[in-house]
This record gives sequence, C-alpha cells and structure tokens, in this order.
Amino acid sequence: MVALETLDIRTTTLGINLMDCADPDLESTCEKVFAKIVHHGENLVSVADSIAADYGVPIVNKRIAVTPLSWIAAASGAHDLVPLARALDLAAEEVGVDFIGGFSAFVHKGFTRADDALFSSIPAALAETQRVCASVSLATTRAGINMDAVARFSGVILDAAERTADEGGIACAKLVCFCNAVEDNPFVAGAHLGVGEAETVLNVGVSGPGVVRSALERLGPDEDLVAVAETVKRTAFKVTRMGELVGREAARRLGTTFGIVDVSLAPTPAVGDSVSDILEAIGVDRTGAPGTIAALALLTDAVKKGGAMASSAVGGLSGAFIPVSEDRGMMDAVRDGALSLATLTGMSSVCSVGLDMVAVPGDTPPSVLTGLIADEMAIGMVNQKTTAVRIIPVPGKGPGETVEWGGLLGTAIVQDPGKFGADILHARGGRIPAPIQGYKN
Amino acid sequence: MPRRFLTAEDVRRAGSGPLEVAPETVVTPHARQTAEELGVRLVTGSGDWAPQAPDRGPDAEGAQRSPPHLPEPEGDDEAGSVIVTAVGRNRPGVLAEVTAVLGESGASIADVSQRMIEGFFHMVLVVNLTPGCDFADLKGKLECLGGTEDYAVNVMHERAFRFMHRV
Repeated sequence: MVALETLDIRTTTLGINLMDCADPDLESTCEKVFAKIVHHGENLVSVADSIAADYGVPIVNKRIAVTPLSWIAAASGAHDLVPLARALDLAAEEVGVDFIGGFSAFVHKGFTRADDALFSSIPAALAETQRVCASVSLATTRAGINMDAVARFSGVILDAAERTADEGGIACAKLVCFCNAVEDNPFVAGAHLGVGEAETVLNVGVSGPGVVRSALERLGPDEDLVAVAETVKRTAFKVTRMGELVGREAARRLGTTFGIVDVSLAPTPAVGDSVSDILEAIGVDRTGAPGTIAALALLTDAVKKGGAMASSAVGGLSGAFIPVSEDRGMMDAVRDGALSLATLTGMSSVCSVGLDMVAVPGDTPPSVLTGLIADEMAIGMVNQKTTAVRIIPVPGKGPGETVEWGGLLGTAIVQDPGKFGADILHARGGRIPAPIQGYKN
Repeated sequence: MPRRFLTAEDVRRAGSGPLEVAPETVVTPHARQTAEELGVRLVTGSGDWAPQAPDRGPDAEGAQRSPPHLPEPEGDDEAGSVIVTAVGRNRPGVLAEVTAVLGESGASIADVSQRMIEGFFHMVLVVNLTPGCDFADLKGKLECLGGTEDYAVNVMHERAFRFMHRV
C-alpha cells in the first residue's frame, strides 16, 4: 500500500497563534513573529521524520500555518507589510519547512486598514520570498461576495504574476482566495490558523489517490456504483486512520494539541497519484468528458463518509482536490482537449475546493479573472461549501503553451478563458448579497 | 530588554568567547549549530543556556490524552511489534539473512509464515522489539537486504496495521 500505491501523509502542519506578537512597532512585530515561530516550530521536522521512520509511512511535507497576519499587523498601522512576509520566510527557512501559510486577510464583508495594507503588499511579498503563502477570504454564505475585493484581487494576481514573469508567474501558485474559508486547513496555499483555534495545533492532511485507484482497479468495471462507493469508503477509512495515528503521535511528541485530519485526496505529479485516474477508473473515458461531475460527486461523498467513520477529528477541506498542474491525469486531459475551464468550474461544485493550479494567458484581462473568481465564489456561497481559486496568469504565454514550475507544482498547459469578459460586472463593485440559505438562525 | 532571538550571524559576530544570552532568548537551531562549530559557549547569568520548552497553551495537556476508543498509546517503555514482509525469487539463505539481521538487532521473532508460488517466496514475520532496539536502524538494515533482481523487504510498525484495520 505504501510503496506501490503511494500511500503517504501529505502534510503535517503546525498551527501557531501569533496574536501575542502584535506590536505598535512593525519591526518589533517581525522580531516577535520570527522568535515565536522558531521557538514553537523547531522540532516539527525532526518529529515528523522520526514518525515516518517509526511507522514506515512517508510524511511528504512539514508546514506551518499562522494567524492571518492582517490581524497581527493592525496594531502597527504599517502600510508596507513585506517585512512581515520576510520574517515568516526566514523563520520557515530556520525550522526547515517548505511552506508557511498565513499571509492572509479576511475581507468577505469589508476591508480594515490592515487588510488594505496586506492586499497591497501581497505581490511584492510573494515575489520576494520563497516559502510564504498568501490567502484571502472574499466571500461566505453568511456575508455574500465582496465584489470590490474580488476585483481588487484580480489585480493582485496579475501583479504577482508579472513580478515573477521569468519563473512562469510562480508567485500566483502561492496565492489563493476562498469562499467559506476553513480555520483549520493544513494544506497550502490556504493554510492559516483561525481565531477559534488553540495556541498551537497539529493538523494532518492525508493523501492517497493511488490507493483508491488501485482498489477500484481491483474491483473491476463490472460492479455497480454502490460497490464503487463502498470501495472508496473502505479505502478512505484506512487512509484516515493512518492520518489520525500520525497526527496524534506527532502532537504527542511535540506536546501540543491535535487538531484535525483533513481527508482530502491530494494528487501529486507522480505517475499513479492522480484523482483524474480515479475518475477514469470509476468510468468516464477521459476526465472532463460528460459524467465527470457525477463521478467526482460520488468520489468526494464516499471519501467524506469513510473519513467520518474512521475519525471524530475530520476537518479542513476534506474531499478531493483537482489541482490541474499537480495531477498528471488532469494535465493529459487538458492536453487532449477533454478538460475545459468550464468543466473544471462545474467540478468544483462537488469537490472540496475549486479552480486550482489553473494556468491562463498572462494577458488575461482583470475583468475575466474577476468573472472566473466570482463564479467560483458563487458556487461556494450558494452551496454552503468551501470553494477556492488558485489561478496563474503566465506572462508571455498563450493558450496551449506549456509552463514548467517543477516539484510538487508540476507542469501546466495554459488554458483559454475565452474571448468574452465581464467588464461591467467587474466595474460595478459592491457586494453580491448573502443568499437566503445563509440566514439560518 | 533582552534580545528576542539569536541567529547564526549573531554568533559569528560575537567571536570565540562565551556569549551571554538571556534565558528567555530564542536561540535558533542554526545559531546553536554555529556556536557548537565555533566552540562558542552560550551562557546565561546562572550557567549554560538551555532551550526552554515552548508553552503550547492551556489545551495542550488535556489533548495528550487519547480518546478511549482508539487503540493507543502503549507508552514509551514498550517498543512494540513490527511486521516484516519479504517477497522475491527463492534461493538458499534468504530466511537466514533476514533472521540474522533480526538477531543482531536484538529483536525476537514471535511468528513466521512462508509460502512458495512457482519459485517465488513470500514471507511474513511478526517481530517483537526489545527495549533499546532501534526501529529505524532495524528497518534500514532489513530494507537494504536483497535487491531489485533478488528479493524486497518491507518493514512496518504493527500499530500502523492495527490502527488502519480496526473500526
């Protein structure tokens, strides 16, 4: 299961509360942030490595999530928050983690001065650092969609891409926006530690697309879909149990609180570690063909049910990820013309996130990005689920061209967002009011 | 006010003598490594500086207790069992090679099962680790045995199986 089907723990993420680091002086804030992250995070990598050795299960990533920094920076009144991003980057380097999440702002209803400063600082912060991930909350079911923030975020994406033009706009791979953001998400780029969380929390994200695909291949094409759902559930149960074992043991060795297991099928560019392969094993010819959304709905639901049976600590995003460049099967489907942006948007209504690691041309107008993001936010808002957009305008590239980011981020083919935009929607601004299903009290 | 942290650069700048640090100052891992390499002693007013355990907050202690329905933990003093599996082309001496490593590491074999299918063997051993027996070391040695053309050994902690397969 481990060696042949690539069962692994995708991430152990230590959440660190930084509320006590707020200071009227930004330099002092940076020093406090650096010191606290190093103090709390220095054993994370060695503990994760020791558990991987003890249980024979690889733990691929070790990461840190912190309190959204717009809350921490507010006391300083600073306009340029890039120094805080540098402090996060240095702390992450010092403790040996590959990504740190929490350069974040929650603006689904409106901006504070600090949110405004953080938005303005995102492009430079991501271009100047290696490990820092930024996320913003633009919509919730209770608040509606802040379209001013969506429009502004489109500009932030394009600016970030332009600043890293020679690396294929890679800054945008570390930048995500959410509807209904979750406070305990262990996966970057959206990882952060919400206000309701404890001082430090150890969260775990499992993986396992390869395990599910192998189980379905063993099941064969003749069984009915109830049998398929049952197989996925059983497999998700085992994967979740392994996640909980690792999470509890890591929390015990670090002396901290265990938070949640995020039961997400998270693909990697490795052969066989693909959500797309599962959809094809369920029965669509190619991912993106008619039937894809139905297959993905079955998969996501069965994963959640298996996970919920295995653990009382299921949280985070929990479902199936569809990051196009990080999933070899999806990449092939895009290359062969099977998987369009429209189908990906539809898929996000039944998976755990949304448009993820999608490349578009570098000259995509801001109004088109606004439209794409607003569509995703609307799907999340109305369906009371998390949706996200991590889209990369690749400078100098047009539809059909390939961009190579390497490592876990993989390779992408630039997709065509079409020739029609949403200029007036983009310019109107304001707020899309919360839907009636948001008024639940 | 004492310094909040000490970096490797600070240690290098300070030279070779003892470096006075406040007890609450966070000395980064790289600073500690640099101090050791350069022979710089980190001292506080009352002796050698030692890292302080981080305060993980009021929830941390309660969170160390496992829910009763989960089959763990066994405690640090008990080393536990491991499952060793080996699969490959059969030839004389395979079992001897595996058991020799187990014997050298101080592990005792609780149960063993071996089968042959058309010249290929597969073997499962349940092995008890004695206190002081290092799992990672044993795993490393066992998984080095055999080779791509010969046989492959896999070692997993028994707890991983128990956890994954029990409702």
